[in-house]
Amino acid sequence: MAPAPELEAIGVVKRYGALLANDHIDLTVESGEILAVMGENGAGKSTLMSLLYGLQRPDEGRILLRGAEVRFSSALDAIAAGMGMVHQAFKLFDSLTVWENVVFGAEPRRGPFIDRRAARAQVESLTEAHGLRVDPDAIVGALSVGVRQRIEILKALYRRARVLILDEPTAVLTPQERDGLFAVMRRLAGEGRTILFVTHKLHEAMAIADRVTVLRDARVVARMRTSQTTQSEIVRAMTGRNVDLQISRGVAAAGAPLLEVEGLTVAGAGAKPLVEGASFQVRAGEIVGLAGVAGNGQTELVEALTGLRVPDKGAVRVAGATLTARDVAAHRHAGLAYIPEDRVAVGAALGADATDNLAMGFHRAAPLSHRGLLNVAAMVKRARELIAKFNVKIASERALAGSLSGGNLQKMVVARELSHEAPVLIAEQPTRGVDIGAIEFIHGQLIAERDIGRAVLLVSAELTEILGLSDRILVMYEGRIVADMARSQASEEKLGLLMAGRTAAS
Amino acid sequence: MSDFLTPFLMQSAVQAITPILLAALAGALCGAVGVFNMAMEGQMLIGAFAAICGSYASHSAGVGVGVAIAASVAFSLILAYGATVFRGDAVVICIGMNLLASGLTAYLLRALFNVSGTFSDPAIAGLSRIRIPLMPSIPILGWGLARQTAITWGAWALVIVVALVLFKTPVGLRMRGVGERPDAAETLGVDVNRYRIVTVLVSGALCGLAGAQLSLGAVNVFAEDMTAGRGWIAVVAVMLGRGHPLYCAAACALFGFADAVGLRLQGLGLPNQLTDIAPYVVTLAALAISHRARNSNALGKADRDV
Amino acid sequence: MSVLANFGGVLRAPPALVAIGVAVLVGGLLVLVSGADPLQAYAQIVVGALWPQNLPDTLNWATPLVGMTLAAAIPLRGGMINLGGDGQLVIGALVGAVAPLVAPLPGPIAAALALLGAGLAGGLYAALAAWGEIRFRVPMLISSLLLSYPAVGIVSYLVRFPLRDTTTGLPQTAMVPDGARLPILIGPLNMGVLMIVVIAALVVLVDRRTVIGYELRMRGANARFAAYGGVALGRQALGAMFSSGAIAGLVGAIIVLGGQFRYIDDALLSPAYTWSGLMAALLAQGEPAGAVLAGLFFAALQTGGFAMQRETSVPRVLTLVLQSIVILFLAVRGGLGKRER
Repeated sequence: MAPAPELEAIGVVKRYGALLANDHIDLTVESGEILAVMGENGAGKSTLMSLLYGLQRPDEGRILLRGAEVRFSSALDAIAAGMGMVHQAFKLFDSLTVWENVVFGAEPRRGPFIDRRAARAQVESLTEAHGLRVDPDAIVGALSVGVRQRIEILKALYRRARVLILDEPTAVLTPQERDGLFAVMRRLAGEGRTILFVTHKLHEAMAIADRVTVLRDARVVARMRTSQTTQSEIVRAMTGRNVDLQISRGVAAAGAPLLEVEGLTVAGAGAKPLVEGASFQVRAGEIVGLAGVAGNGQTELVEALTGLRVPDKGAVRVAGATLTARDVAAHRHAGLAYIPEDRVAVGAALGADATDNLAMGFHRAAPLSHRGLLNVAAMVKRARELIAKFNVKIASERALAGSLSGGNLQKMVVARELSHEAPVLIAEQPTRGVDIGAIEFIHGQLIAERDIGRAVLLVSAELTEILGLSDRILVMYEGRIVADMARSQASEEKLGLLMAGRTAAS
Repeated sequence: MSDFLTPFLMQSAVQAITPILLAALAGALCGAVGVFNMAMEGQMLIGAFAAICGSYASHSAGVGVGVAIAASVAFSLILAYGATVFRGDAVVICIGMNLLASGLTAYLLRALFNVSGTFSDPAIAGLSRIRIPLMPSIPILGWGLARQTAITWGAWALVIVVALVLFKTPVGLRMRGVGERPDAAETLGVDVNRYRIVTVLVSGALCGLAGAQLSLGAVNVFAEDMTAGRGWIAVVAVMLGRGHPLYCAAACALFGFADAVGLRLQGLGLPNQLTDIAPYVVTLAALAISHRARNSNALGKADRDV
Repeated sequence: MSVLANFGGVLRAPPALVAIGVAVLVGGLLVLVSGADPLQAYAQIVVGALWPQNLPDTLNWATPLVGMTLAAAIPLRGGMINLGGDGQLVIGALVGAVAPLVAPLPGPIAAALALLGAGLAGGLYAALAAWGEIRFRVPMLISSLLLSYPAVGIVSYLVRFPLRDTTTGLPQTAMVPDGARLPILIGPLNMGVLMIVVIAALVVLVDRRTVIGYELRMRGANARFAAYGGVALGRQALGAMFSSGAIAGLVGAIIVLGGQFRYIDDALLSPAYTWSGLMAALLAQGEPAGAVLAGLFFAALQTGGFAMQRETSVPRVLTLVLQSIVILFLAVRGGLGKRER
């Protein structure tokens, strides 16, 4: 008889009220195997992982670890049973050191105190044993994303994890960091550990996983070996239809510069500026992609461009109007629309209704207001029109923004910003965390904006999005624009090296 | 200098610091686990009233202190569970608790003792003071520490204990983690709510001590709203000290000094209406100075983000 | 989800009623502690507040309380809290009490100037807290409260020493001339009631129908969203705090010119209008019309409290306990004032 699989889920069901998040899921993974779990947003991947890891309990079904049924009442049980999880958003304490993060919750003691020396020694031996280079005494907040991910893996290994769940681990990495992670994953699998790799990136699943299990609409719809399948087969399973993976777009006909940035500098708390002497232009009828690993100054640059932050030096011109050190209202008035990175924290007020949300930015002028008095009927009419035009799925224009799904909320934000018909559009991570249908829609809208002669600045961490949409590409590294090239000159490898701070030549 | 800082002045300054210091430690602990506690004013007031009740009934200051701690801990259950299990807004809960403490003590003062305003009685036993020989001969610091209650001595010892617990023990590491990233602490098996509940209850015990010192430490009297803003000054001390017990203690010492200077000026003939505001003015100035060197960003600045 | 949200709107009323029920129960136990009959005590509250002949007294009490409720509600609507109402109130009251004494003008003009000056002074003092947050990043929640203490201390000093009416032995200013007092409407009610009614109507109108009201509501729902939409948060905080403080200052002047006719030290703060007003505003989560209703409710409770104390010897401070239990229960149960995550 063959040995029992390392981890097995049988008929697992999870409901949230009326919503069925996991519908009789069966999943098996063998020891030493890398299994990719794929599916669109909302397919049930995250729910399934939180059930396996004990963060939530299934309503029905069983979970078996090495043949024995387990009932985790918390993540603590799962950790004790040899499970480890690296969350998509890292769960690290920025103000603490690496070793404190690793031993947190299972600290070696000496009397009533933490045995600092023993803790450091254990962390050091783990880093050496698994090729995860990191300084145990570094403060986590100062470390790069790739290093932080290593700390997450160290945390799991410190707790003797035999099964590792990696939830979208590559989303935040440069291609080179990703390759480094894959090497670590192969090494861990080679040691006999089991890895569940949650992803929606086809080529990564094909590159690293032994098998793929695909979820759609809360169910398992396909199980395949990567050696015996193709990318389009997986996509068909994920979406239930054929999707054109290529973003189709015509050739750009760039005109006059509409967004001009000269020597923009934003000082930081330390000696090093957050943005240093950024200069570039975005012309009418082109999409300029701004690539870079998160945390290299893109956020601050965009804040300075939109008036949310006062730059310390430099000039910003929108459609010819100089806006340096002016406030947000002046930027918007000059003709700048902005789809922010975080639609929940910045782009919408979840506690307010769609009418109020869609009026923001338009509320100071006719027809929505006249001499400081609101025209509520006009606000409602506008909201209805935009909801219909952009096909936002919402109960009514008086329903709260908080009732919308992620994709529909993003559609609402996009609807509001595009209806400014502003000459310049800044779109920051416009498709993060939305389903494929909404991604296609939003990409189409961005290209349509370009084609009617607007200037679009696209800030994205997804290189495929940057490469697929942009006419010109900028790369940002440590606060500086380190490259400005035409799309035709760019490749994933080249951008990856630039994002990691190396010049394309070296 | 020693003309200005008399032994009596130093002694009353140290005495004035004690309740603020204990409340600030309470606030620092709550802040460490991510509960914004600004109910210390109310927690102390309950403690002060309960101490008088306990001492009055038993003729023992020790029993008074015990009752103060018990009552303040019980009162703190509102914040402990309200801000965690029930997920209420800590700011609103604390405002409600401060008013409840004010109303409840005033009501019970009338209902139990049939007086309004202040209550004192020979049956109330005060806290005894520890005399240390030779101490009064050390200028300034010695003057301050001579003849203080055990609670005052204990408060300064607790500063060290709290610092050690927070920064050297597993519990302290977990507390700081719970405050910084509760979701991360949860995934590592730390029960966030339990840590927060216990911490808030400990803050209640500390404020109970503070209240007992207030009512039994000097004149054995309870007066309505006798905390008189000390809880708020403690809130500011926590902010100024960025939650670090040693820095918070330094901030408390600053207020105590301002208080003493106010008293001294009063002795020199200034009306007490003016000298009483000294700690608040010093507090505001200290806050303005300590906060001015921050980076500005219109987005990052959330309202009521303290 | 949206269906749930709609149901939430329908279900919102009962939690307030449940909270009041809980407060009444706990309060009843407290009445038992004092050896009185809870039913009788509550009956006295209801009669004392709502018996037709007592209604004018209730309204008279409600005037400053509803005023302070509005003062608290305006910043709260934008997610800010003004804890410094006491300071703004006494500053306004002092200006209102002193202006008619020093300005040798015909009565009504002196009164109008006094009210205007009181609003301006209270507003500027409140705006100081907002300025401190914008300029020095001192949290307004704390600074507004801390600023109260110097204001109260200095005003108290002024009333006891330089501005004291030396013909009496009490810490109070001289009487304002007859002409500068607010005209009586009926019984105990004076012009101040009408002024508060007009202010309340204005606040509700601004909240619902104007651009500034919309911007303040959006800030309350999500301040970062408002900033992103072009609202200048700093200027808005200054404006909201100024309006809040101006109403508080005006309330101070109304109390002085409408009833006491002089500034009497401690007389303004002992009824704790600021805190009752803040609780009423919290009860309605800053929505002005609801806040006015809550303010009226608390005013009735407190007026009834006087009758209860008179008739049953149960201390009227019980009503403060009842109010805080209502707020605590709602804060804990219903997520009152819960911030967006």
